[in-house]
Amino acid sequence: MFGRGADSRFKWVLWLSATAALLCLVVAFVHVRSDAAWSVGQPARQPIPFSHAVHAGGLELDCRFCHASVERSAAAGMPTAETCLGCHARVWAVKSQFAPLTTALALNTPVPWASVSRLPDHVRFHHGAHLRVGVGCQTCHGAVEEMPRTVKAETLSMGWCVACHTQAATERAGESPLLPASSAWRTITHQGIEIPALTRCSTCHR
Amino acid sequence: MLLMGASVALAAAGCDGPDEHGHPLHARPRGADEAASYATVLDLEGLGRGVLARTRAGHAVKIEGNPQHPASLGATDIFAEAAVLSLHDPHRSHRIRHNGRPQAPAGLDAVLAALPATLRVNGGAGLRLLTGPVASPTLARLIGDVLAAFPGAQWHQHDPLADDDALAGAVAAFGQPVAVLPDLARAQAVLCLGADPLGPGPAQLRQARDWSTARRAGSPPRLFVAEATPSLTGARADRRIALHPAEAEGFARAVAATLGVSGLAKGAAHAAAPDIAAALLAAAPAAIVLAGRGQPPAVHALAHAMNQALGARGVALRLIASPFARPEPMAASLVALTTAMRSGEVTHLLVLGANPVQDAPAFLAFEQAMRRVPFTLHAGLWEDETARASRWHVPLLHPLEAWGDSLAFDGTPAIRQPATRPVVDDARDALGLLGKILAAPLPAREAVIATWMDRWGGIGFDDRWTEALEVGTAGPPSPTISPALRPDWDRPGEAPPATLTAIFAPDAGLRDEAQNAWLQELPRALTGLAWGNAALFDPQTAATLGLAPGDEVELTLDGRSVLAACWPVAGHAPGCVTLPLGGGRKAAGAVGTGRGFDATMLRPADGAWTAPGLVVRRTGARASLVATAAPYRADDAGAVPRVQPGEALAPIARGTSLHPDWPYEGRAWGMAIDVDACIGCNACAIACQAENNVPVVGPQELARGRGMHWLRVDRYDFDASEAPAASFQPVPCMQCEKAPCEPVCPVNATVHDNEGLNVMVHARCVGTRTCSNNCPYKVRRFNWDDHRPAMDTPRRNPDVSLRPRGVMEKCTYCTHRISAARSAATLEGRELRDGEVETACQRACPTQAITFGDLNAPGSAVAAQRHDARSYALLGDLGTRPRTTYLAQRVPRDGT
Repeated sequence: MFGRGADSRFKWVLWLSATAALLCLVVAFVHVRSDAAWSVGQPARQPIPFSHAVHAGGLELDCRFCHASVERSAAAGMPTAETCLGCHARVWAVKSQFAPLTTALALNTPVPWASVSRLPDHVRFHHGAHLRVGVGCQTCHGAVEEMPRTVKAETLSMGWCVACHTQAATERAGESPLLPASSAWRTITHQGIEIPALTRCSTCHR
Repeated sequence: MLLMGASVALAAAGCDGPDEHGHPLHARPRGADEAASYATVLDLEGLGRGVLARTRAGHAVKIEGNPQHPASLGATDIFAEAAVLSLHDPHRSHRIRHNGRPQAPAGLDAVLAALPATLRVNGGAGLRLLTGPVASPTLARLIGDVLAAFPGAQWHQHDPLADDDALAGAVAAFGQPVAVLPDLARAQAVLCLGADPLGPGPAQLRQARDWSTARRAGSPPRLFVAEATPSLTGARADRRIALHPAEAEGFARAVAATLGVSGLAKGAAHAAAPDIAAALLAAAPAAIVLAGRGQPPAVHALAHAMNQALGARGVALRLIASPFARPEPMAASLVALTTAMRSGEVTHLLVLGANPVQDAPAFLAFEQAMRRVPFTLHAGLWEDETARASRWHVPLLHPLEAWGDSLAFDGTPAIRQPATRPVVDDARDALGLLGKILAAPLPAREAVIATWMDRWGGIGFDDRWTEALEVGTAGPPSPTISPALRPDWDRPGEAPPATLTAIFAPDAGLRDEAQNAWLQELPRALTGLAWGNAALFDPQTAATLGLAPGDEVELTLDGRSVLAACWPVAGHAPGCVTLPLGGGRKAAGAVGTGRGFDATMLRPADGAWTAPGLVVRRTGARASLVATAAPYRADDAGAVPRVQPGEALAPIARGTSLHPDWPYEGRAWGMAIDVDACIGCNACAIACQAENNVPVVGPQELARGRGMHWLRVDRYDFDASEAPAASFQPVPCMQCEKAPCEPVCPVNATVHDNEGLNVMVHARCVGTRTCSNNCPYKVRRFNWDDHRPAMDTPRRNPDVSLRPRGVMEKCTYCTHRISAARSAATLEGRELRDGEVETACQRACPTQAITFGDLNAPGSAVAAQRHDARSYALLGDLGTRPRTTYLAQRVPRDGT
């Protein structure tokens, strides 16, 4: 029933399959760790062609001018149409360009800015708490003042967040400005394993 | 192979993938803050409870009690909590309709603009307004304006739950309508004649708080309850007597006679009367008698006379003028309207917010009469039965979207302000519609301002107005009145025949919002039924009739029949059957239509609460009932312990464990639930559902035990006799220090954290359900379906993630609230304060039975409660070391 070379052909097929499977895994592994998989460097379609390079870089506007609640609440806050048109009614008042903003102002609706660094639903991030302990905007958002079109600068993956949280907690607990001097932030040891307080699930997840 | 590679890549990227890249990131609209809270007011049975509507990005996501409002004191009931779901109900009416067809708003406006001229021809002789009970000063003022502009017009009120007999009783006793305000914090003895002060109602939150305050202070009122249908008050009574409605007046008369009330027209005797009368006399003047809905007028008059004889007025009881704008017998008002419609007198009928086609007694044939009226306009939240029978239907603004005002049960006024972005574009409000009829359209806000400008005067108005909106109340409660008891107060009623009697009663968990899935899925505290109602029997009567629980029965009264399920309830009076109102809807959307049976089919045309001559026939079929767990018994494992004064329970033992202990050096979150204060109102369960985006599973899944409530309220019956005393024990996740769920998870999806939280990692869970199997408290819930599409609406709480299909979930101790408080403390550079973190269930509880906080913090409330002599751990002998512990129920010393 089987020909003379059946055995060796079958071996070849097995080897090929195994190699292909391994190749797939390697490709997948490389892909999920690539910036493209995390949309790093990719801009999003915004209602108006806004440039951080012009505003934050050239004009040196403070971040808080537009992201007003960044120091006190979880969300940084996005500028309302009033914030933009407050200046642009006088300078660079290109009507057609600001149509989405004037519409939002007239209808009292929010401006539909597109997020480039949104975290998944099960992650809780508090801008104010991070600023308070000295984590600056650029740490996560990159050099936005050099971005003509805003893009994601880091993967913002869990591994990326935890790397910082582990380092902050283990190296500088207690004396670091990164951590409030509260007993709740001490590293604990359980079953011989050191657990930095900032890496427990409920710190970031909800 | 390529597909496999892709799926591996997807699986690897899946959990943390940037799936939201480019999704909208809305800036706030002008003025509104990202997270804001608005003080407003929600009505129940026409009377307001002050609430704070918490909004996110302009949408109301959660209702919480307003601590400064006397009818809330910071707590909520199930109806207030569920209002936010009704607000965002996608099945709410969205279009103006004429004869069922959608119309542009301009069409309606043209018709309404022509209306005043048409009506003015004959002085509005054919105009009738039909509303629910009106306590709102502005609505009453505008209705008054309409009646003044059209002298021929008439205003009718209709509420299927209106207590016309209480009104008749007050008129008999005092010659005027009064509202009785008991003070359960001061009373030492309370006799409830069918009254349910701890049960659902506009005064529940206040009365439950007062009662629990007295219990905590160690001077609880002795609670005597004489009733036919088991109620929440009856469950917590010191003594409960199951009384057939035919005996109600005789019993009240017997107590009154023993008390020596003067002016009694007729005496009576009852075996239990002397003891109760003696207890009342011993506690006088801090003794009160309350008559409830469904009692005949004579019983209400007797209660007034007994309070007078006990000297309770001014001590533990206050009388005020009725908060309603025009107290009237509503059943008679509806009968008058129906008669007028049938005779063709009515040319224009405006129904504002009421649903008479559904909830008027079927004997009245309201719908047929209504169809004879040439112009009918119904304004309502839903396209319900009345909307379908009307020529015009206008979607009404939800109370959370509209301007208005309201009075509480004690007469405290409050301004209603819109707390959310309008959900329905075409919706109108009742004030605006009345303005159109007056040909003086005024925005609702201006109409409300005009009312209060009249009352307060123009000087300093702006400050008062702003304060009223911020605080949530617009003035003091109504002043006490002291009407004299009329000499001829006692007008004995005829004793009804002692045949099988139908008792009509409000459903324990449903009012007119059958469309609300949270309310439908909530098991009723005393029956355990959800998604429908049943005819409630006493077990003995059911046995005599050969009925088993869940049997279908045909109920016949005066020639009309309805099919219902039979459900025996321990403690129900024999010889009568309770028929809950509010079920069997014909047009209540996918959620509410056809749940249970419609008791209005049997209700007498005069809206009577009891009707003798009920005939029950077993059909032989089984009804489709959804019943959750039956009550536990006193000897069941984990039963609520009961302690007498001075008695102490054994301290909670830590037990031994093979696993090393966690070092809880920082905070140690813990919860203490005082079973003694719990009244089984279920507000915590709905608050948890609203806060944590807990999905609704529907009747089929619920019947299979797949309900998702993170917090359930267990009931323990302590006495199998005719009058069971019950304890209610809310059971959230115990957050065990030695959690049995943790070591058995194959993927480490449920883990411990150093503050003692038992954390559920939804993204890791693969759905083996081993954790739930190993949980002795059965508080873990499994997502059998993907509920995210239904949940992902503006209503959802954005602070809590939505769980996908196939993962476990459970109570988190509101970990997002802990995080939020922690961030707030970090921002201010301070430690967390005790009481700063409030869980949703704790915030909702009317009796403050739930305490949450840091067990390690010296002097924290929760640590004090944990070391109380009444503290116990549920199934503590299993060695799970639960962080949630309980305080046992107090019982009076034996022989008192």
